[in-house]
Amino acid sequence: MGSKAISIGIDVGSITVKAAAMENGQLIATLVANTGYNPQEAAERIYQELLLKSGARESQVCGIIATGYGRRNVAFAQRVVTEITCHGKGANFQFPGVRTVIDIGGQDSKAISLDGNGRVQDFAMNDKCAAGTGRFMEVMAKALEVDLDLFGKIALQAPSPCAISSLCTVFAESEVISLIAKGESRENIIAGIHEAIGARVAAMAERIPIEEPLLMTGGVAKNQGVLQALKRKLGIEIMVPEYPQENGAIGAAILAAEME
Amino acid sequence: MRGRVPDRLTYLLEQKEKGRAVFGVFPALCPKEMLWAMGVVPAEIWDPPLELVKVNSHLQPYICSVVRSGMELVLQGKSDFLDGFLFPHTCDSIQNMASVIKDCMGPEKPCYFFYLPKAPYTEAARTYYLTKLQELAGSLEKQLGGFDQERLGECVRLSNRISSLIEKLYAMRAKGRLRGTSRSFYQLLRKGEHLMPEDLIPLLEQYLTQNTLSEPKGSSGVIFSGILPNPLELLDVLDQLGTRVVHDDLLNCGRRLLAPKMDTTIGPLEALAERYFHLPPCPTKGSGVQERLDFLLDLVKKTDAKGIIFNMVKFCEPEWFDLPFIQKGLKDHGVPTLVLDMEINQDLSAQMITRVEAFLELIS
Repeated sequence: MGSKAISIGIDVGSITVKAAAMENGQLIATLVANTGYNPQEAAERIYQELLLKSGARESQVCGIIATGYGRRNVAFAQRVVTEITCHGKGANFQFPGVRTVIDIGGQDSKAISLDGNGRVQDFAMNDKCAAGTGRFMEVMAKALEVDLDLFGKIALQAPSPCAISSLCTVFAESEVISLIAKGESRENIIAGIHEAIGARVAAMAERIPIEEPLLMTGGVAKNQGVLQALKRKLGIEIMVPEYPQENGAIGAAILAAEME
Repeated sequence: MRGRVPDRLTYLLEQKEKGRAVFGVFPALCPKEMLWAMGVVPAEIWDPPLELVKVNSHLQPYICSVVRSGMELVLQGKSDFLDGFLFPHTCDSIQNMASVIKDCMGPEKPCYFFYLPKAPYTEAARTYYLTKLQELAGSLEKQLGGFDQERLGECVRLSNRISSLIEKLYAMRAKGRLRGTSRSFYQLLRKGEHLMPEDLIPLLEQYLTQNTLSEPKGSSGVIFSGILPNPLELLDVLDQLGTRVVHDDLLNCGRRLLAPKMDTTIGPLEALAERYFHLPPCPTKGSGVQERLDFLLDLVKKTDAKGIIFNMVKFCEPEWFDLPFIQKGLKDHGVPTLVLDMEINQDLSAQMITRVEAFLELIS
């Protein structure tokens, strides 16, 4: 082992793979890349790129924890930990004292209740379908021929959001197509989609005790439309950390350091 | 039977060749001793592993999968070899399915309905239950011939032996003194759904002899609640993660198998009736929330369980009605809970495994 002791967290999600490196309790590098077809290769690639970015040698790595749905594909990790536990740790690092985390990922969404020290007390998880997830937004953006990065911004410009009653991705897509046929404006349809996601995620979150401060993580946290819709549904302030998408990987890196 | 356990269908067909009648028995509680005494093999129908096709024309999709798969079995003709059916009044869905199946099978296939008293249990409930037992005995007698009280007494004693062995298995498991996986434990218990006592008792004895440890093996444990110990892959995940199922509150298992010994000094029908009123609490029997909560808290205390996993069957009304109150009560006492909701023959998804793993991380 070299002079530095670096811990690594790798979060293999359904759409993106995230990695974080920590040294002496400080975050020194993060990366996000597409998972693609082979999560094992994606994890190996991002690990090597993270070492380059952080200027570290492999011999300096003291621990690696893998998390995310593809966590068991990371053969070089010493341990696997669920993304629920990792998001708790990561959120508490980015926002000390945080009590609730809502994480919307590519294929599921979660609400996590924390004890104020990053330890999970309770959680709820939507894992039955793609509704209220990043994948749902991808399908809707494609149906409306809108760049996913602009999706949230457009939602905020809508004068009168449409009502989207279906929460199933397949049926919601049909409903969106019907609205297009009726001549409804793109902005109003997009805003309606965001409201529907907000309602879905809020309903899931209310299965656990929701306490402030509340942090939103995951790739969808970057979407202002969902964020604003969720704030309205829950009626409380929602913070977004500096690294929402990398939050799980950061938590895994913290746990990897504790593993020493 | 020792050393040779045929599969369920082979066993049942062998029993028919021996001249015994075989009845399909739907969940959950019925006086099987009465069937044994009449030379009937009760084959319980909980979760036949079938693709649900024909049942969709008869039952809506938001009926529980225990009922839907049971009816599918009948509609696919896979139960044609049975000599009759027994439907205990466990819930409205089973009750309604019973009337549909009776229509499907026609008058030549005997269908018996067995009504059970619901809590709170008064003296009238005891009288009612005894009357229902007598009525069932009378109905069976018409189809199958003479009803022998002495033979029923023998079956009560065999049933006591089974209860005693199962109680010992649960006790050894709770103490960590039982070798073997949760999968093998529940696979063994579930053989009681179709084996006759003379074939089941040696298996239980053998398992106890071969798997009892002199010293406890320590690992944290959880209590399993719900209907069935399904899917078995869920038990495998717990085993792989070093978490033991230390006890259960499953309708299919602990709630009915941990039956108190029946009094052999009184009439066998009276003994059967009295046992019913001393089984662990269960929502299908109308047990109150507080009674169930007290029971679960007592189990947690006795087994030092770290949490409770509610393995729920989707659309099971009796179980779901009480769940939020029970969860809240447990939480108020600091007992963590996890709720899984699945169809009875559903594969364990990666997300479901994540929820289980996250729960185990939470309680560790």
